Amino acid sequence: MGADSGPGAPSAVPWRKVLYERQPFPDNYVDRRFLEELRHNVGVRQYRYWPVVREASLVAQQLSCVAVFLTLWWYMYEGQLSPFMLLLAGLMSALLGYALYEALGGSTDGRRTRLADLQSAAIFLAFTFGFSPVLKTLTESVSTDTVYAMSAMMLLAHLVTFPYTQPSPPGSLSLNAALFGSVCLASRLPGALHTFAMLTCALLVFALWPCLLRRLRDRAEWGFPWAAALVSVGGVCGLASQSPGGALLLALALLVLILLCPLLLLWLQRHKNNIHGPWDEAEIREDLSRFLQ
Amino acid sequence: MMGQRRTAGPTASFSSKTKDGVAAGQQDSTKHNICMVSDFFYPNMGGVESHIYQLSQCLIERGHKVIIATHAYGNRKGIRYLTNGLKVYYLPLQVMYNQSTATTCFHSLPLLRCVFVRERITVVHAHSSFSAMAHDSLFHAKTMGLNTVFTDHSLFGFADVSSVLTNKLLTVSLCDTNHIICVSYTSKENTVLRAALDPEIVSVIPNAVDPTDFTPDPSQRDDSKITIVVVSRLVYRKGIDLLGGIIPELCLKYPDLQFLIGGEGPKRIVLEEVREKYQLHDRVRLLGALEHKDVRNVLIQGHIFLNTSLTEAFCMAIVEGASCGLQVVSTRVGGIPEVLPEDLITLCEPTVSSLCQGLEMVIARQRAGTVPPPAAIHSRVRTLYTWRNVAERTEKVYDRVAKEVVLPLDRRLVRLRAHCGSVAGSIFAFVAVLDFLFLLLLQWLIPDSLIDVAIDASGPQGLWGQRRARKRELNANHHEGTGTG
Amino acid sequence: MADDDKFTDINGKAIFLECQNHSSFCREFTVSAPKVSLLRVMVYTCSVWLVAYVVFFLTENTAVLSGAIFVTLVGMLLHIHFVKIDQETLLIIGSLGVQLSSSYASGRESTTFIEMSKIKDIVINEAIYMQGVIYYLCILLKDPTDPDTVSSVVPLFQSSKPRLNCLVKVYKSCQEILAKC
Repeated sequence: MGADSGPGAPSAVPWRKVLYERQPFPDNYVDRRFLEELRHNVGVRQYRYWPVVREASLVAQQLSCVAVFLTLWWYMYEGQLSPFMLLLAGLMSALLGYALYEALGGSTDGRRTRLADLQSAAIFLAFTFGFSPVLKTLTESVSTDTVYAMSAMMLLAHLVTFPYTQPSPPGSLSLNAALFGSVCLASRLPGALHTFAMLTCALLVFALWPCLLRRLRDRAEWGFPWAAALVSVGGVCGLASQSPGGALLLALALLVLILLCPLLLLWLQRHKNNIHGPWDEAEIREDLSRFLQ
Repeated sequence: MMGQRRTAGPTASFSSKTKDGVAAGQQDSTKHNICMVSDFFYPNMGGVESHIYQLSQCLIERGHKVIIATHAYGNRKGIRYLTNGLKVYYLPLQVMYNQSTATTCFHSLPLLRCVFVRERITVVHAHSSFSAMAHDSLFHAKTMGLNTVFTDHSLFGFADVSSVLTNKLLTVSLCDTNHIICVSYTSKENTVLRAALDPEIVSVIPNAVDPTDFTPDPSQRDDSKITIVVVSRLVYRKGIDLLGGIIPELCLKYPDLQFLIGGEGPKRIVLEEVREKYQLHDRVRLLGALEHKDVRNVLIQGHIFLNTSLTEAFCMAIVEGASCGLQVVSTRVGGIPEVLPEDLITLCEPTVSSLCQGLEMVIARQRAGTVPPPAAIHSRVRTLYTWRNVAERTEKVYDRVAKEVVLPLDRRLVRLRAHCGSVAGSIFAFVAVLDFLFLLLLQWLIPDSLIDVAIDASGPQGLWGQRRARKRELNANHHEGTGTG
Repeated sequence: MADDDKFTDINGKAIFLECQNHSSFCREFTVSAPKVSLLRVMVYTCSVWLVAYVVFFLTENTAVLSGAIFVTLVGMLLHIHFVKIDQETLLIIGSLGVQLSSSYASGRESTTFIEMSKIKDIVINEAIYMQGVIYYLCILLKDPTDPDTVSSVVPLFQSSKPRLNCLVKVYKSCQEILAKC
């Protein structure tokens, strides 16, 4: 091995990237081929604007869902909407949604029968109806401000933890946060029936609607942006009828989410500089659990 | 391997010391006083630990003065002596995680300064980027104006948040270090990228294996079967999940195949499940944790050595396997392709199918009898990597470093801010100033002149060798004496 | 015959080593630290009283003042009786043993004697002390069951903590006597 300092004498032997051979180069020799295996941004996806906008609309519509739910609650709270009306509307939309769900799906998954669906719905409705007086008085000893703050926190947590890549079924944390927020809000309504109607509505908005949306995205791609737009417009309009300022804010937030955030992503993507090389830890891509099944 | 521990050694025959010691020191002006610093040292076991120990021994043999500083391991604190008077300071610093000390950038300064001053250290050589104590010592050494060398033993990715942070810290730590040593070319590329270094100040010096510890013994093999040996910690990074796929695949195909697996770790459960499910209890033997001296006894029972690592800077294990005369099959990751000549190793992609293919090829060759005999493989491998060679090459790094100047504080601050980004650079420039002020305070409280110079007993001409020759056993093998006073 | 040498302790303060050769088998080493300095006593006392007076000024409670006087007096007494060691003596008598004694500033003395049969050797050792590494002289005691191993260590000159050059002097002298018996 040559001396450590000074450039290696230009020799006829080319340098090789091996350790087992004593080469006539100093230990700190830097060859032309140094870092030749360096790769930049391997497997980085190149985004285009409109597909990103399309995906971003999912986030926007989820925000609008919360707005729709809050608007409904507001109407109930002010007494402008009777629980019968809400239940009726809920039943209608549930049946409509279920029909659409069945129409879009029905290919391979014959695992759940209609009877089983009906059974779950009946059990849920019965329990909620039975417990609604309890839920109504659950937060009586808590001050109203605390309840509002808590619901706001919970709905925010729902939005943050919502699994946007896999919207169905909503992640347990996200769904629980939303339902907890709904219970808090519903307990401030005037009667037990109001509470029951509100909770049923929460279930429709936060649990069943994402399932339908997922099915829509998978099976009828053209329908998905329309559905998202419909919910968004519905959210803004609904809020506008109660609080124009809030509606303006929501509209702005939606615009930023749908139009500006994708732009930002595209702009930042150009600055992405991820380096790869032989030093990277190899990934195990195979499914090795098959050996243990 | 650890040698005898004799605490009272150097001072017992004090009178004869000075003359020989000084004479030996002045024969050659390029003798260095080196302090190896790392969190990882015996009694902890691993690649870094044995690297530090072997390198120190060879450097002592070459006439340098070497001491080792590490943190206290349980009851083992204070000052200990190993073979050839190699002095080890087990400093009482708090261990935080995975045998690495906590770092505040400051609290280790008084102790390390005392060690550097009393041992008259000229070069501080820190090991392993996982060791906080190594980085601390580099930082303090630069504050004290000592030359610094750093050896990186591991590879790191660039993808996740934790590696972004650790790479930033490495940049700060290495930006004014005089020289860096890596164990393979891949590791050099990795370190240069991680710490944004000039590749000229990074040397590649591979690890070594003691060939006398790993000699073949074909009589220990059972030639009616084919045995595949795996010796590694059973952790994810060593690709044990791949091994869990290879075992059933090959065992079903070849009824005369058996596996011998040495090592311990969290992934042991995977191998146990495989063994249970396919009823392979007589063909897959899990030996548990192996001591270093038992590794050879396991290796010589096999025909094929299998390494399934997912990342590896150098991989001593395959050299040990080849040194014992085994056919080596390994994944092509990190620095592994650089380690052994193509005809001694079969490289595969890190997938079950590729590894099985490679193994089947070697099994076929083994059956046909076309593999070279173990003695032939051993004789080729034994000269490839020796500690003497490592020590010689490291010595050249020390010679080069000793000629360089250590940046004074003002230029160090400029360099930190220019090299590490404005935010991190400014923060660490501030820390460097504080460290400097702390050092001034310490120098005022305990001036260097008040710290007694330690007596050097190491080296072939040192007291240690003489005392051993005289066989005057002064048995001072006590533990309490070296504890904190 | 006796000779007196000036050394420093590990903190740089002057200490005196006095070696007395009673006979060729008997030597006595005395390490003495400077006496309690009046100035330091004054400074400590004054500072405690000053603090006490400030507290008194704020609280207007005279118990603070009397408490301060009491504290300084008791502190002084305890210090000279239990902490401040004026001199440490190592008396080594070949074939008989080693006597260690330390005399406190108050005049109190504590003495221990170690038989020669129990002593394995006297050596200089290194230890981590506070935030530094120091040398110290110590007696290695034999394990009564197994004479080849060391059962425990008795450090010498624990209070004065002389530097290496002083320790080496005592060490060589001791080794001469140990070699004879």
